[in-house]
Amino acid sequence: MTVIAFSDVDVLDVLVVAAVAVTAILAIAIPRRVGATIAFLVFGLLLALLWARVAAPDVAIAEAALGGGVAGALLVDALHRRQPAQPKRDHRRAVAITAVGAALGAVTFAALATVLSRLTAEPADLGPLALEAVERSGVSHPITAVLLNFRNLDTLLEIAVVVFAAVGAAALSRDRIRTVTDPGPVRRVIAVIIVPALVLLAAWLLVAGTSEPGGAFQAGAVLGAALIIAHLCGVRAARAAGGRALVLVVAGLLAFILLGGIGLAVTGTWLALDLSWAFAAILSIETLLTVSIGVALAMLFLAAGSRDDAAAADSAAAAPALGGAA
Amino acid sequence: MTTLQLFMYAGAFILVVGVAATLLVRDLIRRLIALNVASGGVMLLWLALADRGDGEPDPVPQALVLTGIVVMAAVTGIAIVLARRVEQLDDDLEEVEQ
Amino acid sequence: MSAAALVLAPVFLPLAVGALSAVLPRRAAATLTVIAAAATLMVAVLLGIAVLDAGPVRLEVAGWAPPVGILLAADGLSVVMIGLSAIAVLAAALVAAADDHFAGGHAFWPLVGAAAAAVNGVFVARDVFTAFVLLELLTIASVALVALGGARSAAAALRYLFVAVTGSLFFLLAVALTYGHTGTVDLARAAERADDTVIVGAIIALTVVGMAAKTALFPLHSWLPAAHPAAPTAVSALLSALVIKASIVILWRIVEYFGPLTDLAAPLATAVGVAGAAAVLWGGVLALRRDRLKSIIAYSTVAQVGYMVLLVPLVFTASDPQVAWIGGILITLAHGVAKAAMFLAAGALAAAAGTGRLDGLEGTISRMPWTVAAIGLAGVSLAGLPPTLGFVGKWMLVQASLDAGAWWWLALLLGGGLLTFAYTARMLRATFNPPGDFSGARELTRPARTVAIVPLALAALSVVLGLIPWLLIDVLSAAPMGGGA
Repeated sequence: MTVIAFSDVDVLDVLVVAAVAVTAILAIAIPRRVGATIAFLVFGLLLALLWARVAAPDVAIAEAALGGGVAGALLVDALHRRQPAQPKRDHRRAVAITAVGAALGAVTFAALATVLSRLTAEPADLGPLALEAVERSGVSHPITAVLLNFRNLDTLLEIAVVVFAAVGAAALSRDRIRTVTDPGPVRRVIAVIIVPALVLLAAWLLVAGTSEPGGAFQAGAVLGAALIIAHLCGVRAARAAGGRALVLVVAGLLAFILLGGIGLAVTGTWLALDLSWAFAAILSIETLLTVSIGVALAMLFLAAGSRDDAAAADSAAAAPALGGAA
Repeated sequence: MTTLQLFMYAGAFILVVGVAATLLVRDLIRRLIALNVASGGVMLLWLALADRGDGEPDPVPQALVLTGIVVMAAVTGIAIVLARRVEQLDDDLEEVEQ
Repeated sequence: MSAAALVLAPVFLPLAVGALSAVLPRRAAATLTVIAAAATLMVAVLLGIAVLDAGPVRLEVAGWAPPVGILLAADGLSVVMIGLSAIAVLAAALVAAADDHFAGGHAFWPLVGAAAAAVNGVFVARDVFTAFVLLELLTIASVALVALGGARSAAAALRYLFVAVTGSLFFLLAVALTYGHTGTVDLARAAERADDTVIVGAIIALTVVGMAAKTALFPLHSWLPAAHPAAPTAVSALLSALVIKASIVILWRIVEYFGPLTDLAAPLATAVGVAGAAAVLWGGVLALRRDRLKSIIAYSTVAQVGYMVLLVPLVFTASDPQVAWIGGILITLAHGVAKAAMFLAAGALAAAAGTGRLDGLEGTISRMPWTVAAIGLAGVSLAGLPPTLGFVGKWMLVQASLDAGAWWWLALLLGGGLLTFAYTARMLRATFNPPGDFSGARELTRPARTVAIVPLALAALSVVLGLIPWLLIDVLSAAPMGGGA
């Protein structure tokens, strides 16, 4: 068996990857939900660091914002509800199942590794092709060009995923989302200082996204976090629930489809953007999408954690703020 | 081992660990976490493949991973709502029995 | 609108209607959904004409060609499946509009729009990442639709979610391998460039496993008999008739494009065939043993999925793969129409009789003869008896089996038909009057007339299509599988 030499690899990369792997194992192995969720939160932040190492800053920002938000929602849920006791499995059976699972997992990993080892280190020629086409896209940031121009159908469908998840969550959530009546001084401070800061950050991410890392998804995630925190701190207008919120949510999707139709009418192809107005179209649609995504995510995660509780507010304030500011 | 291989194998490892846990663990929220972990593994693989070579990374896979992250967040959101419903129902049934 | 522009209409129309339905009152939402379904059917016909004329219709979305952009293409398979989608949604929408109980609530309308858009997108997708996003949209919508069945259906819905998303992750891995090996996620370009047997084999294997989970192919099927009966009636019809077809089509596409490129295709195809055979037998036998209408019909779907994958090994061993492809596609179409009819009729019966249990249905036949007839007729199509569309598809698969010298598939096709016949007969017998009682005095809450007519119309359709199958066969042959996009 060949010796695994790490000569070619940066020590920092090895450390970060190792940390990611360790937190992954912790996240799935810790039996208490609260502990598992905290491990998962750290896992997400380390992943964001790793994405930055792999030269993917857009993804790093999105991972921090969305991953932090998701972990935050899970944490709130775990803190709030009693973890149901699993029926006691016979100890020997449990060990046997774990052993079989581990064995199958090892076999699968070996098979996967074998297949992966056959992939070459040659970069795909898609990269240079896409990068070369960016100057004809209307924006200067390659990721935005891909998301909002070259492959904007995928983005439209992804918006649809978020929109209809919010619709489903709204329909299925049992608890009514109640407005916080007496926020208290701590939460008032949060509302006055942190929420506007997050909204500004979202706006900056949105506008910067045309030429630097950023864009509608990152901005939308930060805006969603801002809305949830604002709601928990007593801001009535930030209650992301009910008919008016749904209107904002579907408006983004409908606007995107409409833009597609305009492209059809003007150029003969769905979703095509004429270079003369591509920049304006992209920025406007991204603005609408940011609002849609923000409200949809807020709706989704408010429905997921809908209860009025001081502990919930403080933990929820901490986690997304961490993620949003990254 | 090159950096590409390190990241690829790590991604595969995290994926397998996550999927195994999704299938074997019984607690609903822990399974959901495992599913997200598995997704992270696949994303690591994608981004490693995007960053091959010395030049700028390929923006297409990075855009795809971004899409994937958003989709998983939406899926997780609805899963939490459903898990709450399932467990609230179990709680109600328990109370009735008592 | 040019033919190319029509390719995305079946996606954007239901999607826009779904989005609007989230904020419109129920009647407006229902009306729009029905109109959109009818319009989609017309688009399918127009696309069919275009395909008959000039072969596959291609669309480079946003004006960018692959590998930078996304290519969609409508071939024969796309056209007939979009047609099925339109008919299934139309039927489910009409029944759901007649009685909200069959819909499960107002969220039915937006979620159905999303699901319809997603499946229609899959039917024209030639880009594996776009296919992934479409499948995720479909999963979200389907899972939420199942959960509309009430608090008790939440567990089944969540189980479906876990299985479906895990399957998606396997597929996403396959897409990553595709990109890593060929540098593109466009199927045609990737197939041109792929040259490693092991990697291509892995892509196929991962896709098979992922799609098997989502289509409930044995042995990854156990979520379906829990989820489909737990959903509201109109949702069950759509889930069985339409939603599982999306993952099957992706499986077929990967086989179509990548199968010829690897030596591992033959063993993989055989494995798929064995799973399909097990599905036909397992599903059929279990359907015979269940006591609830919807449960029987769900296990019937598990069995029928076996037929849908049976074309995979036949495609590799028959001397004319087109016969296998077309036969399998026709069976899938027939299943879609018949299963929708069955679920809608069964839901109506159960609602009227107050229970879905077989022993609670005595005497219903004299009060609701058309509804029971729909179940019977649908069962005949599923069993593959002439002159239904199911028979035509089965006949072609039989031909392909004989051609390949694979008499065991033959035995399976015929045996499966017997099982289908048996459990259909069991369902029908349960609705008969108790012996000696000819009064038909069973008091039932009669459902709206729509609810009685729609299933019968669907079941009749599967017979009519069986009488004029050449129309479908022509479209499927004009832009055949393996013809490349």
